[in-house]
Amino acid sequence: MTISKKVEFSASHICRSHELSDAENERVYGAAANPLGHGHNYEIEVAIEGEPDPVTGMILDLKRLKEVLEDRVLSVYDHRLLNREVEPFDRIVPTVENIAIDIWNRLDPHIEGRAKLQSVRVYETGDLFAEYRG
Amino acid sequence: MPEIGLTRRYRFTASHRLHSPLLTDDQNREMYGKCNNPHGHGHDYEVELTVRGEVHPVTGRVVDIATLDNLAETRILAPFRYRDLNKAMDTIPTTENLGAEVNRRLRAVWAETFADGLPRLEKVRIRETARNICDVTE
Repeated sequence: MTISKKVEFSASHICRSHELSDAENERVYGAAANPLGHGHNYEIEVAIEGEPDPVTGMILDLKRLKEVLEDRVLSVYDHRLLNREVEPFDRIVPTVENIAIDIWNRLDPHIEGRAKLQSVRVYETGDLFAEYRG
Repeated sequence: MPEIGLTRRYRFTASHRLHSPLLTDDQNREMYGKCNNPHGHGHDYEVELTVRGEVHPVTGRVVDIATLDNLAETRILAPFRYRDLNKAMDTIPTTENLGAEVNRRLRAVWAETFADGLPRLEKVRIRETARNICDVTE
């Protein structure tokens, strides 16, 4: 059985790679390559897999999940310039793919007990999302 | 290197009429109901393309989105936008057949569009309405 929780954060980012020329950056990322950055209202959907506890009826204590999301992701990401303020985006480009992988890496060690992290889906806009399953 | 899925959503508006030449008029009305209206009707279609592959270590992308957008525009959106799907397709333009048609058009040129054949086209999803959705995965 799977249970999913959705949370939101807002952040700015710059999609430019130091390893690409200006022209290549413009071609790959388009307007998102603007060196001054731009922002999104991101949505994260976290899916947790497992069997409900026979006593509590829950796969995972949802208060605990909310705390983990707040402590490990939202407090780090929300209202930040990802390239400057959030590791590893000082080294890799904060595309929606890399954001999904990073959020998985931040959450996975803290989903404990009978629950298992199944997927992290990150919507950058309503028309673009990445889904990572580890 | 683990794989990741990336989904991109596009929209187009088109008209259609569901009517099978292999059925009588009465059978068509019974089978398709309002969708059999001889004058046709339209929808704001949504097309979701899910691609899957490894994230490129330099670009951080699983697919070149400009290339994907261009492929969707030239092969799907431009031919279907504000068109009569009964004329734009060879099959009855149900959600299922539209999904199969979009899938076929994309796969026909996928390998040449993405030089190394990667990433894979994992899924085509057509939303005819919020309640009528078709997924094609092959």
